[in-house]
Amino acid sequence: MFDIAGIGKDRIHLAWVSSAEAQRFVEVATTVNESVKAQGKFDPKAFSFELAAAEMTLAGETLRWMVGKEVKITTDGDVYGRKWDTASFETILDAVLEREYQKNLIYQAVKEGYTSVRDINEKIGLDLKRISYLLADLEKTNKVGFTGMKDRIPVFAVL
Amino acid sequence: MGDFEPRIVAFLCNWCAYAGADLAGVSRLQYPPSIRTVRVMCSGRVDPLFVLEAFKDGCDGVLVAG
Repeated sequence: MFDIAGIGKDRIHLAWVSSAEAQRFVEVATTVNESVKAQGKFDPKAFSFELAAAEMTLAGETLRWMVGKEVKITTDGDVYGRKWDTASFETILDAVLEREYQKNLIYQAVKEGYTSVRDINEKIGLDLKRISYLLADLEKTNKVGFTGMKDRIPVFAVL
Repeated sequence: MGDFEPRIVAFLCNWCAYAGADLAGVSRLQYPPSIRTVRVMCSGRVDPLFVLEAFKDGCDGVLVAG
């Protein structure tokens, strides 16, 4: 997720330290400190769109639903009786994550006044076709609406 | 950049890493002062949104230890 958003997953560390391992904690703390130091300062303002989109994605029901169903789908199969192994499920999950994130990024852009496909493209750098495609999806779920034409350019707004 | 001191939020499990950190303090082991500790009752309590919130508030890195 943080990689897709361009923040980089190296800013987040996960470690197991038992209560008896003070030395291990010190090692972990030092490594994390060095690693983050090497990556430099993080400026939340420069990433405000990305953070807002990431937050929407993580708080949204699609991803939570998928993660919640993972064990059921990989052990019992889906509603069509198809079997999924963990690897293929993870691939789908990653694709869904990226799609949801990109949709939310577009939503943020429209909300902040980048109302045409070309404006959105300039702001977030996603390619034009992908933006149109995801905008259509956002329209279907009534998050974004088409408000009319301006100089022969379709204009969108957040609903 | 040389003396840049990062701000790192550490979510520590009460039973494992937090006790480990506590022991490190008691045994007078030095660890970087850039670590800001948040004690949680279990590292499973840490929601991805907490991590995001930490970054939004301007921290430079996050450590989850259990």
